[in-house]
Amino acid sequence: MDTLKINGQEKQFPTGKFPVTLADLLGQLGVEAATVVAELDGQIIEREKFAQTELHSEQNIELVRFVPGG
Amino acid sequence: MDKLIIAGREFGSRLLIGTGKFSSSRIMAEAIEACGAEIVTVALRRVDITNQSDDMLAAIDRSKYLLLPNTSGARTADEAIRLSRLARAATGINWVKLEVTPDPYYLLPDPVETLKAAEVLVKEGFVVLPYINADPVLSKRLQDVGTATVMPLGSPIGSNQGLKTRTALEIIIEQANVPVVVDAGLGLPSHAAEAMEIGADAVLVNTAIAAATEPARMAEAFKLAVQAGRTAYLSGAAGATKRASASSPLTGFLRND
Repeated sequence: MDTLKINGQEKQFPTGKFPVTLADLLGQLGVEAATVVAELDGQIIEREKFAQTELHSEQNIELVRFVPGG
Repeated sequence: MDKLIIAGREFGSRLLIGTGKFSSSRIMAEAIEACGAEIVTVALRRVDITNQSDDMLAAIDRSKYLLLPNTSGARTADEAIRLSRLARAATGINWVKLEVTPDPYYLLPDPVETLKAAEVLVKEGFVVLPYINADPVLSKRLQDVGTATVMPLGSPIGSNQGLKTRTALEIIIEQANVPVVVDAGLGLPSHAAEAMEIGADAVLVNTAIAAATEPARMAEAFKLAVQAGRTAYLSGAAGATKRASASSPLTGFLRND
């Protein structure tokens, strides 16, 4: 089964459900792309490139966003 | 009030506000509006993919305020650099409030890691506003590597103790050739006024406003205090003396001795 490590947690995808691109993954997770910054295997992915960025099993993804803070 | 200039950019307000600890996004937005700040700090955290909460920051009009991301949570220079790069990707601008606070109890900034991170970030083109202890030597080292400001603390973050570091702050202000923003520990408008009176260029306040019973009202009080303190500083304070100095004439008394 294909997996991704998202924010430190392993997520498994049944056959046929593995997201093709980063934009697809955000859609599946219900995360609004406009508020998110992504890092794929340590590389920052610009928001405009979410739709072109293909995902592969066992990649490491960080999804971060701004939160209130001092 | 005279303009605050950081990295060539002009600001009409000398009060920066943090967005943490507000009980709702509406109350936060009202407080930001009431304090007149133009620079608003935010933090960067992992998205909780199992529990999507509302975007608290949607209430902030980004065309009106400069969003200043901090590197809170960073314990090392490397972590702070990584957060800064992510923040730049998120905002599209290169301003960052650099904070490296490995100690969880007092949240005191690590001077060695902060200086290391600042050197790298300045070279990468960031406008770096470093949060530091009130250390005049570190302040000079940071401005020498090209930080846009220094942001010494008045007392530990969120402690509301006021200017416990006043003597060191006075030295920092005297030596600085970049704006000095007193950050952390300002619990009352009088603390903010005091910082401005001794010549700080600006102050950053969060907890004292967010944790007040009426945040918007407290935000306005801080706004007025910062204006009063700045105006007092510019007017040249008369200075304190040990003995009295009569304000009324010392002649013409209604007695015959």
